[in-house]
Amino acid sequence: MAVYFDNAATSYPKPEAVYNAVEYFQRQVGVNPGRGTYQKSREADGIIFDTRSALASLFKISDCSRIVFTSNVTESINLALKGYLIKGSHVITTAMEHNAVWRPLKVLEQGGDITLSLLKCPSGMAFNPEELPELIKKNTALVVINHASNVTGTIMPIEKVGKICRAHNIPLLVDAAQTAGVYPVDVQVMHIDLLAFTGHKALLGPAGTGGLYICEGIDLMPLKEGGTGSESLLEMQPAHLPDRFEAGTLNAPGIAGLGAGVKYILEQGVEKIRQHEIDLTEYALLKLKQFPDIVIYGPQDAPSRTGVISFNFTNIAPEEVTYMFDEVYDIMARSGLHCAPQAHRAIETVELNGTVRISFGVFNTQAEIDFLISALEDLANA
Amino acid sequence: MEALTIYLRKINIYHTSPCFAEAGKIRVKARLSDDISEIMPYLNRVVKNANYNEHAPNLTMFKEFRMITLEPENLILIKALNDTDARQVLDWLKDLINETAERKTEIEPLYASKKRPHPLQLYTWLPRINCKQCGEKSCLAFAALLSVGQQSLDRCLPLFTDDYQEQKTVMIDLVDALGHDISNYIDGGV
Repeated sequence: MAVYFDNAATSYPKPEAVYNAVEYFQRQVGVNPGRGTYQKSREADGIIFDTRSALASLFKISDCSRIVFTSNVTESINLALKGYLIKGSHVITTAMEHNAVWRPLKVLEQGGDITLSLLKCPSGMAFNPEELPELIKKNTALVVINHASNVTGTIMPIEKVGKICRAHNIPLLVDAAQTAGVYPVDVQVMHIDLLAFTGHKALLGPAGTGGLYICEGIDLMPLKEGGTGSESLLEMQPAHLPDRFEAGTLNAPGIAGLGAGVKYILEQGVEKIRQHEIDLTEYALLKLKQFPDIVIYGPQDAPSRTGVISFNFTNIAPEEVTYMFDEVYDIMARSGLHCAPQAHRAIETVELNGTVRISFGVFNTQAEIDFLISALEDLANA
Repeated sequence: MEALTIYLRKINIYHTSPCFAEAGKIRVKARLSDDISEIMPYLNRVVKNANYNEHAPNLTMFKEFRMITLEPENLILIKALNDTDARQVLDWLKDLINETAERKTEIEPLYASKKRPHPLQLYTWLPRINCKQCGEKSCLAFAALLSVGQQSLDRCLPLFTDDYQEQKTVMIDLVDALGHDISNYIDGGV
């Protein structure tokens, strides 16, 4: 049987409703939202609004116009960082960031625009939030935190960070690529000012979808300017959200599918999905720990992590393991650095060419983990 | 909050155009899936800034600076910021109508037409010192914008000092009648 354990890269399969929503949009609606005054165009507008509204329900955002659509979380993070930071800003982030955060920050740093401080994550564990106040400077303009590592699954203490940020009046940008849709995210309780998410992972939408929540009171410069279907006589981007940040034709079929994915999550309940993920992760960790030659990175208990597990055999290279998975067992898993060299530095696996990463999704089963374990037994005994 | 019994199932936008009243904003016409005539007098009671005309029948109301004219099976929304804003307002309105219908037995219907405070009436109770701290050129301009929901009472800083306590109390009542959110002022905020 084919087993897909690369849900941290993108979720597969999607709920049936997602395929249907994309097909319905393409075949039955098919037109551009916000640009016309005819019935189908208004239906397209309604579909976009329904997705925005469903995302607002999921993240407990009271005003859905504060959510702007992007093509992925990378664009969302770039918009937040480049739209918010001004020359001379100091930024605090973690030692476990994905390149989606790390590269734009390093570009800004090397251009002399910002300075950076890092919260340490020894051995891939969560940073200690009590170290955050010590890093705050007079010119600290933003704290940027990866909600959960895409390498080790480590869940970071966002709520505690949010409280500290609020007390120091510093906005908090959260990269929720690995948590949105599978972990309860409440922007009010967590004091999140900017929430960047992607649509194609645990939100179960198609690729090419994502978004950024921008708290009221935070003013960003748009990354791009262009047509919005509104206030066309204005030579500048409209001031009002979401139009201000949505120049150009939206990925409406993708957003239609994303809406169906989010509705599926709302119907199931994010807590129930999270519990399924904990159950699978707990089971997999238990089984993996029985291999004397396997090292598991990051937290060793399921509740402290998402459904992402990075491990290595002490005597087999990660790329060899995933090659055998693919070639012999039809198990789809990822090896390498997973676009997050920082995280691999924290767990000291850069020299090993990274790790083997398995990542579970809402449709994975315990039987599939048993199949993986039997494959690993074969490899260990080979 | 979703009402338990759905009285009004859907509000369907059928026409969107630039707003005549204010450049850059939009005007939206929509059809209601169900006739709401019966609920109008109840809305007139619960919505502070609503104004009901029993003979038409129609009901006008404000959502901040946006104006809504409700007819039994149609509505017009003007001064919406954009499509997203319009749809958010219509979602809010649908919930409001359904919640009002749900609580109908607890509400005494109001058939009479209410008078909205006139801008000059608002002006009378302002400090009238033209201090410009609100960002407007004069207290009169502030009063005019206040009456259409484009200014907020707490922007009048002198009013919230000890010198204008009586005026403040009256102004809070007046903006309450205009449908402004006055919870901040009552809780001792500002």
